[in-house]
Amino acid sequence: MKVFVDSDVVISSLISNTGAASELINNLDIKKIISNLSIKESEIVKLRLNINKPLPMLETIVIDNVKKYSTYSIDPNDAHIVAGADQAKVRFLITYNLKHYKIDKIKRDLNIIIMTPGMFLQYLRLSDKID
Amino acid sequence: MISTKVYTPDQVAEILQLSSNTVYDLIKRGEILAKRIGNVYRIPANSISFALTGLDYDLYLAEKEDKKNITAIEDALSVARTQL
Repeated sequence: MKVFVDSDVVISSLISNTGAASELINNLDIKKIISNLSIKESEIVKLRLNINKPLPMLETIVIDNVKKYSTYSIDPNDAHIVAGADQAKVRFLITYNLKHYKIDKIKRDLNIIIMTPGMFLQYLRLSDKID
Repeated sequence: MISTKVYTPDQVAEILQLSSNTVYDLIKRGEILAKRIGNVYRIPANSISFALTGLDYDLYLAEKEDKKNITAIEDALSVARTQL
């Protein structure tokens, strides 16, 4: 199972090691992907919030053509996350920022489901029970 | 730390939009875990977490932990994204 993780999840995992973000990031059964832009913005946020821990080592893709995705988020500055999820060819985008993405349009056009870390971990638990 | 939050069957019935009889049936069938104390039942919050939040209680608490800081993180990210 592979997912694209928004930078808010990556930063959350650095702040608390008992939160759902940390549980997701440290789950070895889930392949987590971020982008080159995610790393750049996460480093800026780390500085602003005085976080001294290093970013987790996650598979990183280089994204392009971000403008193409500007209609998938309320704020066009969030578009690179949708671009990352699409270009990483994942089915799940994990974020705490549900309100800022056009969830239905992303599901319809890109077949990507947006969930919070807890929702995704719950989904995995229920999937295990169904299997 | 042990969570001390508990509900009565009537409170759970109201929360879940069920009749009290249905809640007692669910307790008898083991679908809602409840502790009998004398003649009454008390239902811990974690027993009805999934019905309320869609999350198991541990995941609910784990998300709650992250959400303590999420506003500061989102604010910082908004600023960072203008600098990309």
